[in-house]
Amino acid sequence: MILLFILGMALSGCSRAEAADVENCLMCHKYPSLARIGADGLVKNYYVKEHLFLNSLHGKVACRGCHTYIKKFPHDPVTEKVNCANVCHIKPPFAEENFSHKKIIDVFDTSIHAIKPDDSPLMKASDPDCKYCHLNPLYKRVDEKTISYGKSLDRCLNCHKRKGVTEAYHHMMHRLRHKTSRSSQEIVALCSGCHGNVPLMKKLQLTGRALDAVQTYEQSIHGKMTALGSEKAADCISCHASSLLHDIYKPDNPKSTINEKNLQATCKNCHKKINKYFVKIAVHPSLEDPHNPILFVLNNMVLRLMLYGTVFGLMALLFLETFRRRKDGAGMKLKSGTSWGKKKK
Amino acid sequence: MHKGAEMTATTEGIARPGQVAETLPEDYFTYVAGVGNIPRDIYKHVKSNPFGDLPRYSAHIVIQHILIFTTFIALAATGIPLHYADLFWAPYVISLFGGIDTAQVIHRTAAFVMIGACVYHLLTIIGSTIRKIIKKEFDVRRTQVPLPKDLFDLIHDVKYFLGLAPYRPKMEKFMYKQKLHYLAILWGSFVLISAGTALLFPEYIASLWPFDPAIIQDLARIMHADEAILALIVIAFWHLSNVHLVPGRFPAQWTVFTGRITREHQLEEHFLEYLRNLEEIPEEREYMRSLLSELGYAEKEGVPE
Repeated sequence: MILLFILGMALSGCSRAEAADVENCLMCHKYPSLARIGADGLVKNYYVKEHLFLNSLHGKVACRGCHTYIKKFPHDPVTEKVNCANVCHIKPPFAEENFSHKKIIDVFDTSIHAIKPDDSPLMKASDPDCKYCHLNPLYKRVDEKTISYGKSLDRCLNCHKRKGVTEAYHHMMHRLRHKTSRSSQEIVALCSGCHGNVPLMKKLQLTGRALDAVQTYEQSIHGKMTALGSEKAADCISCHASSLLHDIYKPDNPKSTINEKNLQATCKNCHKKINKYFVKIAVHPSLEDPHNPILFVLNNMVLRLMLYGTVFGLMALLFLETFRRRKDGAGMKLKSGTSWGKKKK
Repeated sequence: MHKGAEMTATTEGIARPGQVAETLPEDYFTYVAGVGNIPRDIYKHVKSNPFGDLPRYSAHIVIQHILIFTTFIALAATGIPLHYADLFWAPYVISLFGGIDTAQVIHRTAAFVMIGACVYHLLTIIGSTIRKIIKKEFDVRRTQVPLPKDLFDLIHDVKYFLGLAPYRPKMEKFMYKQKLHYLAILWGSFVLISAGTALLFPEYIASLWPFDPAIIQDLARIMHADEAILALIVIAFWHLSNVHLVPGRFPAQWTVFTGRITREHQLEEHFLEYLRNLEEIPEEREYMRSLLSELGYAEKEGVPE
């Protein structure tokens, strides 16, 4: 135990010592008050908390690995955004060339969330960029049972080459065993940030089931299980994306996981023994759905009447009975052999 | 129907106490050969043991009831928070069970135990019915089968509650309340078990009923929750008050564990069953005869046996 503790101390010390700040950007950015008020009136903070950054996913990447547009010191006002598709990183273990997110960004660029030339300006502004979801979080401990070895390796191969990555497996604890580093609840919250905002969705001209997707999901058993913290129940991207995670398309796109032809395969990720009829079951059930007036009437009128009728009828009977029996001389407790002591006959 | 329901009793040839004779209903006294004339409100004068004097439920029924109510509590405690997952208290209740994934296992396990208890119950009543039919002891009036008399009893009892009738009806081992509840449990278990099965095995239901599995699942989802809430409310407010909180039963009735009912309760709500107890239990006949002679209602000389 003690040995492990000392080893842990030593290792945590090591990771700290390995600074990403080879060019001493922190000379200025270490000051918490390094901020200014932008033209839009918002405070922009340029402070970098060193120990948090060093323990984050990008902790080993030098500042200018991402912020490539900085060419001199002190640098000019920043106008460009970080391009995550840069080939700028360190070499990944057992690989020849430098690492890049380009492959997955290529997938993302074909998805529904990518900015397309014929999008409205509002849609262009609303589409999430990489950093909307990926916040450069700290390394997190994950429990080790959720995803099988082969499945998590599949995810590695989105970016890495097969050779070497198997050996590197143990180095990369982050998100390998969970489908995503966010919990299912956090995924739902992330997507609901926009998709739960019905006025915004209307402005973006989403229609039909896409409008109330969040509300109907929350009514479903998947939604309820996830809301209560289940890691097994399907969240948004369990169905709407493959292991690439970024390949989210409209249902009519043949590449979409929720395209009619792919639905069965998508459901089979969890429900192993399904047939072709299974996919008709509503994953986003809606009782307001006009195709189902019988269920609507049943749920909102018949069952409600039955419930209130039964409960109030029985309670009325109970109160009547109690009232009359009390009047007739029934005591509350059965004392010394009888509860009928209040009034003698 | 209800007036003719007495088996061994008759109201003929009874000497009534003079001072109240005019106001008493015709069937106020019930004559039992070898015991005497039992007044309808004798339950106000008998001595009862709070833990029960007379047999009501066999050990099998007591065990089944314990199994059903413990699993019911577990099922409701894990199921209701899931139905109301969006309410603030739901995660706290679920966390008591170690998270929703554990609660799911508990819910399913409790469901299978409850189904087992239902099967056990069916075996018990089918077996004992067959045994009674063979021994020629079977009497449909002592069972949970609803009969027209129950409706008349209910009307009579409501009249009594409103002060329009002087005494409660003479009822069988299972009165209208118990039969109503039993029917509700039969319907409720059918709905909950079938809907729960549909929710637990959507794959198999989709292959068994391929035409529109969506409507089956929606129906199951609605009915399972609705029936569970109905059952919970009826049990929490009506059943529990009826058996434990009303006058004479407060603070607890022990029939649930002892399987025995108090004498005054049996006489008040299950008078006809009490008459059968008199036939079957000599000690009870002895007790009633001595009580009646104290009260002056004992068998008079000259009344034929």
